[in-house]
Parts: sequence; C-alpha cells; structure tokens
Amino acid sequence: MNGTPRTLNRVLLFIIGAKLLAVGLLLLMLATVPAVGTWWHDWSASVWAGAENAFRQTRFPGREESWLWIVAGLILVAIIIAMIAWLSQQGKGRANLLVASDDDSDVDGEVRIGGGVAEQTLRAALSERTDLAGASVATLEVKGNPGLRIRIQPRQGVAPHILAAEVSQLVEALDLVIGQKTPVLIHMVSGARSRFTKAERVR
Amino acid sequence: MTQDQETQQLKSRDPNAGATPVAGEDPEMSRILRRETHSSRAGASVIAAVLVIVLCVYALLEAGVRAIGQPPWLIDPTTAAGRIIALPEGISPLLLGASGAVIAMVGLFFLLHAVLPGRRARHLLRDPRTAVVVDDEVLASALARRARTAANVTQEQVMVVVSRQLVVVNVRPTSGSRVSEEAVLTAVQAELEEMSPVPMPAVRVNLASSGVIGA
Repeated sequence: MNGTPRTLNRVLLFIIGAKLLAVGLLLLMLATVPAVGTWWHDWSASVWAGAENAFRQTRFPGREESWLWIVAGLILVAIIIAMIAWLSQQGKGRANLLVASDDDSDVDGEVRIGGGVAEQTLRAALSERTDLAGASVATLEVKGNPGLRIRIQPRQGVAPHILAAEVSQLVEALDLVIGQKTPVLIHMVSGARSRFTKAERVR
Repeated sequence: MTQDQETQQLKSRDPNAGATPVAGEDPEMSRILRRETHSSRAGASVIAAVLVIVLCVYALLEAGVRAIGQPPWLIDPTTAAGRIIALPEGISPLLLGASGAVIAMVGLFFLLHAVLPGRRARHLLRDPRTAVVVDDEVLASALARRARTAANVTQEQVMVVVSRQLVVVNVRPTSGSRVSEEAVLTAVQAELEEMSPVPMPAVRVNLASSGVIGA
C-alpha cells in the first residue's frame, strides 16, 4: 500500500541483473573455453588501445594526467546520487492528514483531521480484543489521497472472516465519526508472536 | 501479462464475484489489493543499489587518486585494465570460473526478481467496506483448528499447508481411534466456503497410516 516504485524496481533490477549475469558468464567462458580467450584478447585489447588514445589526446596542457578521469569521476558521482535517490523511494508514502477540506460555513479556513485520530482510536479498540496478539494502524498516501492500513496479528485458530467483519464494523463506526469514507486495508499477518503463544480456544 | 490483467482475469473467472465485491468495487481498492498481494521487490532493490554504490565509490576513489596524480590505493586503473585484457592468464582457471559462477548467480538472483510475478502467499477475503488481505498461515491455522475439532485430535496431530490453489490437511490419528476422512474434509470445506478466500483453493486430506500413542 506504500509508494514503493514497483515498475522502476523491476526495470533497474532487470538491468543490473542482466549485466552481472553477462559478466559472470563471460568469466565462466574465459575459464573453460580457450577459443573465447583468444577472441577476448583481440577485442578487449583493441578497445583499451582506443581508450588510451583518447586519454592521450585529452591531457591537461603540460601535465601527464587526462581530464577524462575527472569526467569519469563525475559520471560515477551521478550514478551514486541516482542510486541513493532510488533507495530513498523504497517504502515511502506515509501521510499525516486524514482529512483536509473546506467546510460549507461562512467562516474562512480549512478542516484538518490528523491521521493520529484514526490510528489511536482503532488501536485502542483493537487492543481490548483477546484474539489478537498485536495490532498496528498507519496512515498512508494512496495516489495522493490518505488511506488507512490496519495490520492485525490474530492468535492461532481465529477465523479470519469473522475477524474481518468485526474490524470492518469498527471502520464503519470511524467513518461516521470522521464523516468521510477513507480507503481501508486490513492485513492479517502471522508472526512469531502469534505462532508461539497459545491457541485461541474461546471463540 | 501484467499484474492488472491477472487480477482482472482472476475476478472474471470467479463465479460469485458479482454477489459480494472483494472491496467496494473501487478501482483504487483493487489497485491496493494488487499491490498487497505482489512483492514490491524493495529488499532486492536495496541490495542492488548498495552493491552499485559500493562499486562506484571504489572506482571513484581510484579515478580521483589517479586524476590528482597520487599513488593508487589498491590497484592502478591502467594495471587493472592490462590484467583484465590478459584474463585467461595470470589467474588460476578454477578461481576465475568460481568467481564467474558467483557473479552469474548474483545476476540471476536480481534478474529473476525482476522477471517473475512475485506473488505473495496471501489470499483476499470478501468484505463490502474494506479491502482484506490474509496471510496464508492465518488461513491455515484457522482451518487446522476446524480440522482438529472434526477429527477429535490434539493440536500437534494436525498440520495444514495452504498454497494458492490447494489446501492440504495432514492428520495423524490417535492410535486405536478411527478418524473419518470424510468428516474432516466436509468440516474444512465448510469453513473454507464460509471464509470464501480469493482465489478459492481445493481441499485435500491426508490421513497418516501410523497413529500417535498416548495423545
């Protein structure tokens, strides 16, 4: 439900994976097939000769070094920044406000309801239940609109459809309080806490 | 096939999809559900990005050292290039082949993460107001409780495995008492129909031939 860029992840993973696979296969072929070794010799030597030629032509006046090294460094810095930007996109998408809108009255201003209202009321309602080993509520941004994610950890053996219906009733009550229907996701997870505690025998 | 089309197909194939919507028939909701039942590949992305950053930082260091005319840190780029050109020589073929295999494996790991559909072990439940996603283990523990009461055995004697299209119930009866396969099957099927997860899995019951003593 968060804003992780899924298509971008797939594309970049594909590019990086394909390159690593190609390099690995080339090394494997070099180690096993002699014919590949001679071809590699000719091809890479000609490429390196071209590169050295380029370095020679781009020297600083009066010095040994070429400014191509600085260009290469700048490209590397650009790649590093792009990778950090990609990393920062993972798992983003938290929202602060549940409602932000004008009301119809004559008074100027905007009505804002923080996500904490829904999070705390739902968490308080869910914490009283004995058939849950844990519950957490988060406000997330879904295509620019706020949405709620309720993550609950039922104890062993709790019927999920009955639990879903009851949590759904809580959400409907919340709709009445807030006066607006927000998209809600209920996610029932199984974790170590529900696995190692005793089974639910009451319900 | 994109994940969109997959979800669409999944809904049209289901016979009672029209009866109660999976979630409010909201296109936004179905988008959320699709995202929740498929992996975001965030973990693999983080590993790949860190790998590329480390490689780039090292290359940057050597290029920078070279640009200002200082001695190299680990290896001079020119020497490195010379060694790479001469590759089959200068290193034992075993080491070369092994490192090639490792790099190819890492590449394959990322490539498969990018190409495979990345479905998570989760099912959807029908609810008119909210979108409900349930881990398969939660379904399994609920079905196990029902199977346990139907077979009249203890918790340790029942094991349920839920996959996308199939529920396998393994029961080890108590020695000396008979367990009806039919009863367990109908009980589990009734519970599953009450839940009506999407997609609906089939049920199979396996009774162990050897019993448990003293349970």
